[in-house]
Amino acid sequence: MDRWEDEALVLSTLDYGDADRLVTLLTRGRGKLTAFAAGARKSRRRFAGALEPGTLLRARLVERHGSTVRLDAVEVVHAFPHIREELPRIARALYALELCRELLRDEEPAPELLSLAVDWLGRLDAGEAGPTSVLAFELQALALAGLMPRFDACTLCGRPPGEAPRFDVDHGGAVCADCAPRATGPRIDPAVLEGLAAIQAGARQPLPPALRAEARGLLARFIEAQLGRRLKSVEFLRSVGVD
Amino acid sequence: MTPDPLNRLVAQLSKLPGIGEKTAQRLAFHILRAPDDYATELVAALQEVKSKVRLCTRCFSLTEGQLCGFCTDPRRDDRVLCVVEGIADLMALEKTREFKGRYHVLHGVLSPLEGIGPEQLRIQELLVRLEDGKVEEVIVATNPDVEGEATALYLMRLLKPMGIRVTRLAQGLPMGGDLEFADQATLARALSGRREL
Repeated sequence: MDRWEDEALVLSTLDYGDADRLVTLLTRGRGKLTAFAAGARKSRRRFAGALEPGTLLRARLVERHGSTVRLDAVEVVHAFPHIREELPRIARALYALELCRELLRDEEPAPELLSLAVDWLGRLDAGEAGPTSVLAFELQALALAGLMPRFDACTLCGRPPGEAPRFDVDHGGAVCADCAPRATGPRIDPAVLEGLAAIQAGARQPLPPALRAEARGLLARFIEAQLGRRLKSVEFLRSVGVD
Repeated sequence: MTPDPLNRLVAQLSKLPGIGEKTAQRLAFHILRAPDDYATELVAALQEVKSKVRLCTRCFSLTEGQLCGFCTDPRRDDRVLCVVEGIADLMALEKTREFKGRYHVLHGVLSPLEGIGPEQLRIQELLVRLEDGKVEEVIVATNPDVEGEATALYLMRLLKPMGIRVTRLAQGLPMGGDLEFADQATLARALSGRREL
């Protein structure tokens, strides 16, 4: 039996049976793992309020050979309580958590992604993370997962994307007009590519709403193509009018 | 070899939530040993609940007719409406005997991670219900978790422009609780929601 303590961010939870819960955690040492929290839905003392998505924990975990990891005890390090005060903050936080969960494979350490998520949740909690910061988070998370799309040059010939670029998810980024016959994907506004390339390079000035909406759609298509499915929270963001 | 009818009963019972195979076997043997009347009444009760119980067309709690007892009771206050996630929450509130208004059951909460949006809940029906202007206050009694908060905030966004007072159930320490054993999140919420004496 292996016992250890680790910093862990709750990515999602799933009710199991009448009283238990399966908790998907992003841990510092072992990456994403799903732990069994016995009695989590009934016990008001052991886990109460701590197993909510987006809570940073100090978790005590136990693994028996060949069985599911068990969550023994937790201590809340940061609950990011102000995120719960506004619907857009909740929607963006849950989107970020779902993106992290889906980008990671089980038990592959991803300490940089954990730090990125915790830092971003902190800024969201402090009211410092607006809609453009969601794009920045997505791009950084994709980069850490080795899936960085290319916006500053044609992915096929390496030259500037030009005035009539396309975005080809299969080739992983922008395609210039000359290479368009070898690519698929829709035409896009060059200003969207410039905006995304600037965010990739570290710029943090907000994008105008129209460009932002196009950039969000473009990244959503890219992420869907990489993961092979659409993130559920993308539809939620749309249905409650949050970008 | 166990007889097939008994195996079939165990299989059906073990599909019920919280019932494992052992418990299903125990229940099946109990039914087998009980007088014949018991099995007949159990079957009748199961058939009756499926054929007669439906959702109230106004508040979406359970009823045998078009409208439920909460909606037809003339003693209840039309000006206050309590919005709950599910019927179990309605029953819990009703047990307090403190609430005398009407109810509205959403049948779920907004859940971004499960892809549950407003269209999958009884939110449109709630808005239609509020159009007559009788309701002055809506109490949002969703759970104090992320999904419950998201639902409450979404409802607030829809209802405030209608000029309706929107309130949320208080959150904090339980009655008779011990501060020493309170969890961090609850204690923090109790502190931020403290009231003047």
